[in-house]
Amino acid sequence: MRLKKILLLAGAFILSVAVFILNAATKNIDLDTSFLQHLRTLCNIFSFGAIYLYLQIVKREKQRGIVQGIGSVAVFAGIFLTIYLFISFLPWKGFETRDLTLFPRDYQTILFSSIFSIVAGIYSIVTLLYIKDLVLYKRKKATRRNFIVLIASLITASLSQLFSKPLEDSVVSGIFTGIAVLMIVTNSFRLAWIAYLPRKEKIYSLLYSLLSFFGFLVILIVFSQDAGWAEKGIHYYSPALFTFVQLTSIFGAVYFGMSFSSTLFHLPTAEAFDRKQTEISSLHNLSRLINQVFDLKDLAETATKMTTEVVQATSVWLEIIPTEGSFHKSGLMSHRNIDEQEINVLLSGGDKSVRMIVCQTKKVLMIDDMSSDKRTKHLPKLKKTSSLLIVPLLSHQNVIGILYATKEIEYGFDQDDVDILSGFADQVAIAIENARLIERSFEKERLQRELMLAQEMQKRLLPQELPVFDTVDMKAISSPALEVGGDYYDIVRINDRLVGIVIGDVSGKGVGAAFYMAEVKGIFQSLAKIFPSPSAFMIKANEALVTSIDKRSFISLIYSTIDIVTGELIVARAGHCPMLYISSTAKEYIRPQGLGLGMRTGKIFDETIEEKKIMMKSGDVCVFYTDGVTESRSSDGDEFGYERLLDVVDANKHRTAEEIKEAIIQTVWQYTDAQGYHDDLTIFVVKWN
Amino acid sequence: MSEFKVTIRPRDNNIHVLELKGYLDAHTTPVLEDSFQKMLNEKKYRLIVNCKELSYISSAGLGVFMAFIEDVRANNGDIKMSDMSPKVFNIFDLLGFPMLYDIVKLEEEAAGKFETAK
Repeated sequence: MRLKKILLLAGAFILSVAVFILNAATKNIDLDTSFLQHLRTLCNIFSFGAIYLYLQIVKREKQRGIVQGIGSVAVFAGIFLTIYLFISFLPWKGFETRDLTLFPRDYQTILFSSIFSIVAGIYSIVTLLYIKDLVLYKRKKATRRNFIVLIASLITASLSQLFSKPLEDSVVSGIFTGIAVLMIVTNSFRLAWIAYLPRKEKIYSLLYSLLSFFGFLVILIVFSQDAGWAEKGIHYYSPALFTFVQLTSIFGAVYFGMSFSSTLFHLPTAEAFDRKQTEISSLHNLSRLINQVFDLKDLAETATKMTTEVVQATSVWLEIIPTEGSFHKSGLMSHRNIDEQEINVLLSGGDKSVRMIVCQTKKVLMIDDMSSDKRTKHLPKLKKTSSLLIVPLLSHQNVIGILYATKEIEYGFDQDDVDILSGFADQVAIAIENARLIERSFEKERLQRELMLAQEMQKRLLPQELPVFDTVDMKAISSPALEVGGDYYDIVRINDRLVGIVIGDVSGKGVGAAFYMAEVKGIFQSLAKIFPSPSAFMIKANEALVTSIDKRSFISLIYSTIDIVTGELIVARAGHCPMLYISSTAKEYIRPQGLGLGMRTGKIFDETIEEKKIMMKSGDVCVFYTDGVTESRSSDGDEFGYERLLDVVDANKHRTAEEIKEAIIQTVWQYTDAQGYHDDLTIFVVKWN
Repeated sequence: MSEFKVTIRPRDNNIHVLELKGYLDAHTTPVLEDSFQKMLNEKKYRLIVNCKELSYISSAGLGVFMAFIEDVRANNGDIKMSDMSPKVFNIFDLLGFPMLYDIVKLEEEAAGKFETAK
């Protein structure tokens, strides 16, 4: 790009020098239509072509705004006029007119008219480049076409001059000049850019347009002076260039004249337009923020900042009401240009405060003059606060927050402000709801993780595998209904011969149940070895539990010790489901008396607990379980019950412990089939080989 | 979820009867809790819980009785239970409730067990 620019400049320079040398060499010769004349014309065309390309690149690199563009035009017009004045004061002799052809009297004349012409060409090109941007702003289908026709007619009108002598009038040129002027007027109505300028830029635009307008006017006057040298100088250099510069100057004068008056008419509405622009962009920003800001504090900050911008308030604050339906607790989230103490002063007055009025009516409250309004005149007067606008943030007809804005002057807010802030408040309300929803879902996720942790913990509370003995075959399963259940089973080696088996059910479910279960596990693992007798164990376990357990909770437990050598099984029950015992001679539920653990302290529990003893023989089966088995319901709502359990175990008693366990589960699941739901379910099968 | 309802009915001798109906589990226990709480607030401590139409009670349901019995007895009152179906009685019985509470066949019988009002 840099190289290209250098090449273009160098080309333009060399060509211009060539033209100058040609002019100097033929100082007193009328070239008319000779070869040299054509060469000069070509050099000129290529020279200005190169200048055009160079300027286009430079302009594209600079990327000026619309208003700066107009400023540049004015500056170029000014430079052009300055150079004109400067040259006017230099000593040179001017031209001699012979036979409609100009002959310079000295070489200075050739030099100055050349420089002047090149500057005129540059200034014309710059003017057209900048006006092009303005004309094509918010272009419509015909816009571009009209502009191209204008440029085409400009160039054609100029080029048609090539075939005439410098001061000769040409018909062709006249026609195209007419078309060009027509197109200049047409294009000069393209002033769409003015409406979109901010107020401040409109003022600059007004100034620059005026300067440009006068600049072009002066240039045109200079050109039209019969006594002046400007017209002759350019004419001498190239008649085509003169037409081009003249037409461009007309275009500039007309266009900036139009833009000046149009901007002037737009000025009174500029402020309103600016405000609408701010509103639109603020609302737009806010709706974008809704999807980005999840933190209520950030959201409130943004909302107050935007409110300040939109209604140009002196101070703004936002409170978010923490709990629905309760207005008594304020949740000031963000305040600008006012401190908490001042806010409290403004909102004082208990149930009659402006804040409570808004909470109750759920409507916008506007106070034009705080010192005379009956709702606020009792308040101490605050500097900077004369009018007040309060907008409730509503969600499902509930006030979830309140937005306040104040202004220094009385009657500072108008209906427009009310409308804007109402719309704004709706957006903020949605954003708050959004942020809250997300907060809640985070909370839910956290609970979920907690529950997972409890579940994990609970799984580890159950024995990972059961010990294997020659004499007894033992299998167990526990499947919680919810993520965290209340069932518990465990096994402990008391000594070489005794094994302790426990099954329990903690009332309640979830994380709480898991904690009790952990406690039971600790008690079981420590006490079972110290108190081998099941009833003694139960008494000690109750002592330990009753003080720590909630008074409406309890733990049902059934505990038995098995002598793996003799087969002696001793069982004690604390409120739990009875043990099922199936032998060759008996099938029954063994149900020693006993209260649930944690229900009652001391004596009553100790006195009522019982033990039962059986001797297991080959083929005997004992089943411990939780009420999830017997209380499973069919689709009709009937319970599985004790009979069915007894029957299924009896029917499978000749099988292994694993098979018996599977048979029970299959039968229960088939029974509950359509229900889908089942309680926690735990089964422990013991079979004497 | 099945319905659960408590109807409070005063009877002679400053006794109040709570008639339970339906399915008492973790979801419906607040209904029974509220009823007991109401009795306590009104300083009515001579209570009979009639379980004639109670079809099921879960461990959470049993917990409600345990939660209130101490307060009631501390005020020289009692919670007695009557008219249980065998199935419901079995649940109370498994946990050893009969050792802690008066559970009788008929409401009349329960009423007779209260001392005459002073």
